[in-house]
Amino acid sequence: MSKGKRLAGTLAIPVIACIVTNVICLAKGVPMFETGLNWLTFVRAIANVSLVTYALSINLNSGRFDFSVGSIALLASVLSASISVKYGLHPAVMLVLSLLFGLILGFISGLIYITVKLPPMIVSLGVALLYEGIAYTLTGGHGVSFVNNKELLGFASVPNYLLIIVIALVCVVVIFDHTTFGYDYKALISGQRVAVNTGINEKKNALICYTIAGGLMGVQGFISATTTGSIQMALNFGSIAPMFMAFLPMFIGGYIGRYSNDKLGYLLGAVSMAFVSMLYVRLMVNSSVQQVVSALLLVGFLIFLNNEGRIKGLLHPKHEN
Amino acid sequence: MKKQHIKDMIFRIAPIVGLLILFALFMVFAVIKDINIPYSMKNILNQSVIVIVVATGAIFIYTLGSFDISLGANMCVSALIGAMAYNRTGSVLVMLGACVLCAVLISLVCSVLASVFHLPVFVTTIAMLSLLNAGVLMLIGANGTGDIVQVPADAVSAINTVEFKLLVLCLYLAVCIFVFNFLKLGREEKFVGGNPECARLTGLNNSRLAILAFIMAGIGVGLGSFLTITYAPTLSRNTASSVGMDVIISIVFGGMPVSGGARSKIYSAVVGALSMTLLSQIMLMLNLNSGISQMVKAIIFILVVYISMSDNKKNNLPR
Repeated sequence: MSKGKRLAGTLAIPVIACIVTNVICLAKGVPMFETGLNWLTFVRAIANVSLVTYALSINLNSGRFDFSVGSIALLASVLSASISVKYGLHPAVMLVLSLLFGLILGFISGLIYITVKLPPMIVSLGVALLYEGIAYTLTGGHGVSFVNNKELLGFASVPNYLLIIVIALVCVVVIFDHTTFGYDYKALISGQRVAVNTGINEKKNALICYTIAGGLMGVQGFISATTTGSIQMALNFGSIAPMFMAFLPMFIGGYIGRYSNDKLGYLLGAVSMAFVSMLYVRLMVNSSVQQVVSALLLVGFLIFLNNEGRIKGLLHPKHEN
Repeated sequence: MKKQHIKDMIFRIAPIVGLLILFALFMVFAVIKDINIPYSMKNILNQSVIVIVVATGAIFIYTLGSFDISLGANMCVSALIGAMAYNRTGSVLVMLGACVLCAVLISLVCSVLASVFHLPVFVTTIAMLSLLNAGVLMLIGANGTGDIVQVPADAVSAINTVEFKLLVLCLYLAVCIFVFNFLKLGREEKFVGGNPECARLTGLNNSRLAILAFIMAGIGVGLGSFLTITYAPTLSRNTASSVGMDVIISIVFGGMPVSGGARSKIYSAVVGALSMTLLSQIMLMLNLNSGISQMVKAIIFILVVYISMSDNKKNNLPR
């Protein structure tokens, strides 16, 4: 594949998203980026969506569906915020704590999975219930609030979010594309039995995957918490909602991955979705219309992905001699 | 050989034994705490009957190895349509028809979309969940009073009885058991769930089976939404919001493998939903707070599923 085609394939979706959303905004007489707050919202959306997408895709690519990612973000942020508020810690320390708690919670989730050897979906349902219950009990059901803590809320800035986005991308690319663990991970994706028979330790690999996904969700929980200064409690799977924002970027990432790198694809998928989110914000689109548009985008893109051959056949019919 | 047979049987009946143990515990605590047992039993039936109905229908989808996360949202939309139909016509029968028709239509759209465009069923149901949630907001906005759509309580009070709910449940359960255990459809579904490729090569039409499974599930959702209106005639955006996940938990808790196939059992929904409700009631009797109660539920859930699936462990990690 030529470099030009690779570049075009990689950038096509985010560029189209950028142009379409900007044109709609301009047609309505509302510039997409008018103030610094608009940029902050845009970059924060990229950070949030890209982190959840990496976390979900790490296990989903291996056929492990994980309902517990949202509950890890919830519990990690509850723990780190409670400690930070109590001891007046710097936001950077809270970020590190969120990451650490996320890693530990992800590790525990992975440990349960490899120990009980139940389908990952079942394990993740149990883990989600467990972590939600722990978060609820720790806060007495009231959640954590630090709306008056200007230091912690001061973390929200474009450079900080950009730093998180870059570090997360570099980490996942290095870990999954340039380490022995990453090669084993890919081997297990393409052929579980063969990979295990060649001596790859699947349990260890799965455990590391869950741990990394947990760490990423810990950071996402930190971003969510420091955006509003409060963490609301969730029971009965109320924490699974963040998972849904990752599906479209994940499929977009898979498509872009054909032309470059799938992790970069996930990020560009998140960028595309951030443009759509900005469009909603700037045009003050109500939530029901947002949900309809997002669902149609997801279905439309999936129809395209799963019927690419047929669509291409319709667009470029071969002439039989 | 005989030992293996006994072992298999123990694993197979583990969820039922779990239910009996929970029932025994419930009775013990009820006696110790001097709780009105008939009233509590009525409560348990009231709480679990809706989940049982929806989950029994959903078994048809799960048997294929598929998964529908939009059941709760489908139920909410169907209940809203049913309530609106009642408010227009004043007929409970029309309300029932509207609930079932709407739920079946939504299920059909979902399955046909997945079949025609070769989409993964689960992802299609995620998109459907989003669409239905938006539909709920629009329906309430257009037809509701504030944030609710209401059916007069008097209109449904006559059928808001445990006897009526049990009648609906038994009728639907009987139909499902007949279709699942005695008709070709049930056998074909188990075959597809066990080995879709092999089933396709032997000439089974997987898309047709998926559509039929979604229709069966749709009927369950429709009946569930009708029972929801009779139980709580004030409908809001949160109506049935937890049903989708309750259904998954109940089915798995009842011993149904998530991968579907030959080990699928129609009674899993009944066993699972009753067990989960009994567990919640026991937590309530022990005055545990919601958080601790959920933690205990989670641990028991994993333990019971672990025991009931212990005979099906492979060397590689399951996916």
